[in-house]
Amino acid sequence: MKRLKDLKDNGDKAFVAYIMAGDGGLDKLRGQVEYLQKTGVTAIEIGIPFSDPVADGPVIEEAGNRALAEGVTLDKVLLEMKSWDFKIKIPLIVMTYLNPVISYGAERFAESCREAGVSAVIIPDLPFEHQQLVGPYLKKTGVTLIQLVTLTTTENRLEDILDAAEGFVYAVTVTGITGVRDEMTQEVQEFMKTVRSKSPVPVYAGFGISKTEHIEMLRDDVDGFIVGSAIVKAFHDNKIEDIDPLIHAVTQRNPV
Amino acid sequence: MTKVKICGLQEAEHAKAASAADAAGFVFAPSRRRVTVEQAARLAAELPESVVKIGVFVNAELDEVLEAVRKVPLTMVQLHGDETDEFIRSIPVEVIQAFSVRDIEDVKKLEQSIADYVLVDAPGIDFRGGSGRIFDWGLLKGASIDPERLIVAGGLDAVNVGQAIGSLAPYMVDVSSGVETEGKKDADKIKSFIKTVKGDSMQQATGTENVTGFFGRFGGQFVPETLMKAVKELEAAYAEAKDDADFQADYHKYLKEYVGREQPLTYAARLTEAWGGPKVYLKREDLNHTGAHKINNAIGQALLAIRMGKRKIVAETGAGQHGVATATICALLDLECVIFMGEEDIRRQQLNVFRMKLLGAKVESVTKGSATLKDAVNEALRYWVTNVEDTHYLIGSALGPHPFPTMVRDFQSVIGRETRGQILGKEGRLPDVILACVGGGSNAIGMFHPFVGDESVRLIGVEAAGEGVDTARHAATLTKGTEGVLHGAYMKLLQDENGQVQEAHSISAGLDYPGVGPEHVHLEDIGRVEYKAVTDEEALASVITLSRLEGIIPALESAHAVAEAEKTAAAMGSDEILIICVSGRGDKDMATYAEKLEGLA
Repeated sequence: MKRLKDLKDNGDKAFVAYIMAGDGGLDKLRGQVEYLQKTGVTAIEIGIPFSDPVADGPVIEEAGNRALAEGVTLDKVLLEMKSWDFKIKIPLIVMTYLNPVISYGAERFAESCREAGVSAVIIPDLPFEHQQLVGPYLKKTGVTLIQLVTLTTTENRLEDILDAAEGFVYAVTVTGITGVRDEMTQEVQEFMKTVRSKSPVPVYAGFGISKTEHIEMLRDDVDGFIVGSAIVKAFHDNKIEDIDPLIHAVTQRNPV
Repeated sequence: MTKVKICGLQEAEHAKAASAADAAGFVFAPSRRRVTVEQAARLAAELPESVVKIGVFVNAELDEVLEAVRKVPLTMVQLHGDETDEFIRSIPVEVIQAFSVRDIEDVKKLEQSIADYVLVDAPGIDFRGGSGRIFDWGLLKGASIDPERLIVAGGLDAVNVGQAIGSLAPYMVDVSSGVETEGKKDADKIKSFIKTVKGDSMQQATGTENVTGFFGRFGGQFVPETLMKAVKELEAAYAEAKDDADFQADYHKYLKEYVGREQPLTYAARLTEAWGGPKVYLKREDLNHTGAHKINNAIGQALLAIRMGKRKIVAETGAGQHGVATATICALLDLECVIFMGEEDIRRQQLNVFRMKLLGAKVESVTKGSATLKDAVNEALRYWVTNVEDTHYLIGSALGPHPFPTMVRDFQSVIGRETRGQILGKEGRLPDVILACVGGGSNAIGMFHPFVGDESVRLIGVEAAGEGVDTARHAATLTKGTEGVLHGAYMKLLQDENGQVQEAHSISAGLDYPGVGPEHVHLEDIGRVEYKAVTDEEALASVITLSRLEGIIPALESAHAVAEAEKTAAAMGSDEILIICVSGRGDKDMATYAEKLEGLA
C-alpha cells in the first residue's frame, strides 16, 4: 500500500478497478486481474458476491447473482487468489459485505487474506463504530481496513474516521448506491476538497464514476478514482477494451 | 448476589442512571419524593424491562394501588402503613411489607408478615416510609426471617452498604437519600452505589448490554456509511421525542381517535371449552383500523418523521399490512409514500396492493431474489440510501439498525401494556402464558415487553415452520438460524455455510423473512422467551378453529400463535390463564383461504 502514497507524492492519480469475483465463472478472475494489471491500473478491488448487497446498484448486484449462481464463495475466492503464481505488482483489495466474514470467522478471514496476498479490505456495511469486530484481526496480519466517507458523513465522524485511515480513503461521491451516473455536482467537488485537506492518506473517489468527464471534473481534488459498475459491465459484455480510455484518462499525466 | 433497589426516582436522568439496578422505586405516598402515576409511567419507560418497578404506598386505597399497578405498570408493590393481610392478598403482583424497626417487638411483627418480602428500615420522622437513618442491624440477628425475603433500607450509602450486606446477607438493599445531593437524586452517586454492591461482576454480566443499540450481543448499526448520519439523527430525534409529553400525547391521541384503541381482551369461551385447559383470552389487534397491529408503529414513526422535517416516507411490506398502515397514515398526514413489495407477495396479497394504491401510495414491485419481504427491505434500504436527506424509512418490524428495533418495540408496547391492565382488571392476576407470532417480531415484542420482568409469565413466540423445520422451506429463524448481520443488525439468520442469506418460506407473507429482531434473539439467548415453530398446515387448521369457535377469522400470521396455543393449552389446568395476541384479521388472506381451505371447509 506504500506505493499509493508514493504515487500521490509524485502527483500521479490512481485508478482502482473493481471486478466481481466469479462473474462468468471463478476461472475468469485470474485473466481479468492480469489484464487490468497490464493495462496499468493502480490497484484492483475484488468483490465477493453477497445475497443482499444493499450498497450496490443493479449492475454489481446482477454480477453478484451470476457469481453466486456459479457457486462462488469468499472461501473459494481467497483460495483461488492464494494459488496464483503470476507476478502481482499492484495491491489487491477484497471488498465484501460483513456477513460472509462473520460466517467465515473474522480471525480466519484476516489470516486467509494475508495468505492470499490481499493488501486491504473494504467492508461497506461495517461502520466505523463497529470496526472492533474485524479491525484488530486485520491489523495483526498486516491487512489494511479501508475507511469510507460519504457526503453525509458528519464533521465529527469525518475527523475520527480520517484519523484512523490507512492505505487510502474511499470517498463516496454520491448519496446513493454504486452505479453508472450522468452527473457530478459542485457539492461533490467541495466535499472532495474537504476530505483531501484533512486526510493523512490518499483520497479516492468512487461510486458512479464511469465517464472521462467525471474524471476531468474531479481530477484536481482527488488522488485517484475507483471504477466499478462500468468495468463489471464491460467484462460482462466482453468489451473490456472500451474501458482503456477511462483508465488512461486517469493514469496518464497529461491526458490528451 | 445482593440486588439493588434505587428508591424515590423523580427524574428521567436518574431513572437512566438506575437502569443497571435490579429494582426502582416510585413513591406514591406523601413525601418530597412523591410522583403521580403518569410521572411514574414515564420514568418506568426509561428503565429496562429487567428492572423491577416498585410502587411505594402508605395506607392507600386498594383501587389506587391497583390503578398504579395497571398504569405504570408496576411489577411489585411496597406497603409502609398498617395494611391488613387481606389487603396484601388482594394485590396481584408481589408485595413488600415494610417495617420500622425500633426494638425487638418490631422484629416480631416483621416475622409474622405474609408478604413476599419484608423491608426493614429505621423509624420515619415526618412521614412514614424511609427516613434515611441507620437502624440497629443487631436487632435482626437471631430473627427467624429468611434472608431471601429480606430487604434492608435506612441510611445506606456507597460507604456503609458493604457492612449491611456483610452482616445480614439480604436479598436486596434499598437506597434513597444515600444517593442524593442536597435533597436531589444524584446520577453519579446512583451509579457508584450500584457499582459498589455489584462490583466488577456487573460489568462482566452486562457486557455490551449497556452499549447503545444492543440487546446483549445483538443489534447495532451495521449500515453503509451514507446512512450513518440518518441513523444517528433518528436515534437523537427519537430519544428526544420519547421524553416529550406533547409527542406522546399526540401519538396516544391518534391511537385512541383514529386507530380505535384500546382494543378488547376478549374472553374466548368456546375456545376455552374446546381445549379443555386454561381460560383463553384474545388480544384483539385485529380490530385496529387497517386490520392489524402495524398501524401502532406506523403512526409513531410518521409523527417522528414530521417532527424531523421529513415529508417523504419509504417502507417495505410483506403481507401488505405494514404497507397499508403506512399508506393510510401518509394519506392522513399528507406525506409522500413509496412502498416496496416483493412480486411474489403482490401476487399473494392483491387486495392489500389495491388498498395501498387507493390510499395514494406508490407500490414498487421487487422482482429480485425470492421476491418477498427480504428483497423488499433491500430495495427500501437502497431507496433510503439514495434519498436519505428528505426521506424517512418507516420500517415495519422490530428489525434494522438501532434505533429501529427499540423504537418499533416502544410503539408496539401499547399492546402489552393494555393487556396487562386488562387481565389484572378481569382476573386480578397476571396470565400464566402469552403467545404471539414472530416474523420480524413486532407484535410479539410489543406484547411481551411489558411482561418480561414478570418471571411467572411464560412467553412463547411462534415462528413459521412452513413445510416443516426439517425441510428447506421454512421461516423458523430462531429455531434453525445462526448468528449474522442483515439489514443493519446483528441477529439470527437463515443462511448457508458461506454467509449467504437464504430464502425463507411461509404460507404467511408476513412471517416470510429469514431474520428476526435482535431483541428476540437476546430474549431467547437469556432463556426468557421460548420460541416454537408451527407449519403452514397447522396454521391453516387454526384459521378454521378460531373462525368456527369464536367468529374471528384471523390473519395467517396470527393463526400460527393460535396453533401453538392449542398445543400449549393441552398441558395446562383450568385454573390457569392463557393469552393469544391476534395480531391481525384475515381479510387480506381470503384468496389463500379460498384456495387452500375450499375442501376442508
